[in-house]
Amino acid sequence: MIRWLGTLSCDARRLIIEIFVIFNLAFLAVDVYVAHLANHFEHTTEWLPVAFSVFGPLVLLPGAIRRNLDRPWAYFGGFAVGFAAIVVGVAGLVFHLHSAFFATPSLKNLVYTAPFIAPLSYAGLGMLLILNRLERSHAFEHALWVTILALGGFVGNFGLSLADHAVNGFFRVPEWIPVFAAALASSLLFMVCVVSRDRVLIGTTAVVMVAEVAVGLLGSFFHLQTLPGEAWRHLDVVTHRAPPFAPMLFADLAVLALIGLHGLAREPADDSRL
Amino acid sequence: MERWLRFKYVFIAVFLGTAMVAAAMIVNGMRPQVETRQPTEALVRASGKCAQCHREQTGAVVHEYELSKHAKAGINCLDCHGPVAGQKPMDHNGFTIATKLTAKNCARCHAEQYEQYARSRHAGSAWTAVHGKDGFTDAQLAETARFHPEAVDRSANSLLGLEGNSAVVAGCESCHSVGRPNEDGSFGTCTVCHSRHAASIELARLPQTCGQCHMGPDHSQIEIYSESKHGVLFEAQRDRIDLSVPPDRLTTNDMPVPTCATCHMSGLNGIGTTHDTTERLSWYLFASVSDKRPTFAQGQAHMKQVCTQCHVQKSIDAFYQRAEAVVASTNQKVHAVTEIVAGLRRDGLLTPKPFDEPIEFMEFDYWHYYGRTAKHGAFMGGADFVQWHGNYELLRLRTEIEAAADELRRRAASGTATSEGTP
Repeated sequence: MIRWLGTLSCDARRLIIEIFVIFNLAFLAVDVYVAHLANHFEHTTEWLPVAFSVFGPLVLLPGAIRRNLDRPWAYFGGFAVGFAAIVVGVAGLVFHLHSAFFATPSLKNLVYTAPFIAPLSYAGLGMLLILNRLERSHAFEHALWVTILALGGFVGNFGLSLADHAVNGFFRVPEWIPVFAAALASSLLFMVCVVSRDRVLIGTTAVVMVAEVAVGLLGSFFHLQTLPGEAWRHLDVVTHRAPPFAPMLFADLAVLALIGLHGLAREPADDSRL
Repeated sequence: MERWLRFKYVFIAVFLGTAMVAAAMIVNGMRPQVETRQPTEALVRASGKCAQCHREQTGAVVHEYELSKHAKAGINCLDCHGPVAGQKPMDHNGFTIATKLTAKNCARCHAEQYEQYARSRHAGSAWTAVHGKDGFTDAQLAETARFHPEAVDRSANSLLGLEGNSAVVAGCESCHSVGRPNEDGSFGTCTVCHSRHAASIELARLPQTCGQCHMGPDHSQIEIYSESKHGVLFEAQRDRIDLSVPPDRLTTNDMPVPTCATCHMSGLNGIGTTHDTTERLSWYLFASVSDKRPTFAQGQAHMKQVCTQCHVQKSIDAFYQRAEAVVASTNQKVHAVTEIVAGLRRDGLLTPKPFDEPIEFMEFDYWHYYGRTAKHGAFMGGADFVQWHGNYELLRLRTEIEAAADELRRRAASGTATSEGTP
């Protein structure tokens, strides 16, 4: 299965990761805009992630187009965007928790607060950018870190799908699917990170990751079903119903995990570093 | 066996994943039912989505709702805010809600209570006292006339045009909106007494709630209650009184001391509850000259039945006799003063226009302030209000009115008064 994915070099994987980050950052501009629209951008700081998602990719794009991330401007530019993304992500987490949870720290307020895990997607993308620049010559370690970050993403997705559907009281049974899918992906990726050279485990995890893509597509389909036909003409309807793009995070993270798994299966480990 | 052992890490991962899901299900199962069990998809979304925004924007109403009996019973935002027949729907962030809530929204579940309220003077009659028939549909007028015919055929209060719209809106309507005719065909809102998101029965039983409107010189019920034995005992024993007991289970053990609601509305010790606040009344005490209500005997019997939960029949009857004597005496006094002013008007010494001459204010205050105060004081056990705030003022003001009338006649005789009644 992993062999079937091709024979990518470490540099090619780094480039794919870079494109992955650029695409995700750019898409977050739309996603965060729609999400904060529900709050009518009440706080000026809500524009920060939108602006960052617009300008961040512009800094990263030249390096990706020239297929060279090691030139000084691409290297340090990526670092700068990476660190800034971590700051944006952590600040977002704190701001989101401020919406209710910090007022009264309870499970209830954790459910009804602004999605507190969501901003950490910036932190994850920032760490990917930094990783892409720090682990240039160690392909196995690079792949392991990519897998660890994908694990972090799925753990976050577990919390997100749990809290978001808890708001609905898990009215429909299929709302448990993403919780189960995220839990399975997290536990498999966790085991891969612990036992990173077990090919049966890596192969099984890769199969599950392909299934996670299907979960993402299915979730988007279900979320779109909640929108009335004329919803797209009324943006406030879209912003207050089930977020149609959110489930695609499963597919997104699955792709990231597959890149990491591919590296783990293909690259020999540098035992001196482990 | 060895073949299966190759999958040992996968098994461990599946076990860990299952544990995560199980933990999530257990935590979700421990959440309150109002958050997890809803009959329709719209209500499911309402329980969470409304709170998501309103916890931020109007956090107090969410908190009040969470403390309410409605929340414990699983009543959701849309249960109340959803439009009912006759109400304008409004799109609100993906939900369809009513532009304005009325008693009709409450009546979806509390139909009997609404029907009782609609029979009372808290309904349409409260609004006609200010605006007359303006704003009523034919059906609303007919319903009001069915129970209070004397309250329907009247024009707007003559003070309206004289005091100005701002006084009417911020003043009169604040209280009289309890019976405002709504576009959906209903009257008023229940939230006047029960508040909105707290939907509190305790609040409705508090004397201060009634006292928001039933206060001041023209209907000083809250002041009289505070002076009465009932009011003093209520203050003294407040911490022993449970105002939250459901109406069908309320006993004198829960409320050994009555508040306004206890005597006028509550189902004490098995007595039927009513939201018709006129049901236990026997006299039109608010009128200048008080007559018996058409339901005099029935009303008095109902009220006396409540009294018997704490007092013996003999003292109740004696109390009523004393109070009715005050009514009769006040009627005579008011009648006499009304005749004095009517005589001046007949003789062309006053204009037909209301409230344009000092003696007309004196006449109005005579019955509207002091006459009412004496009568209410007598029926509510407020001795000081019968005497010093009531009859003493009646005596003083009658002397002043007689003097003013004599002065007007003297000036008319000497030719210094005009036909408009002013020198």
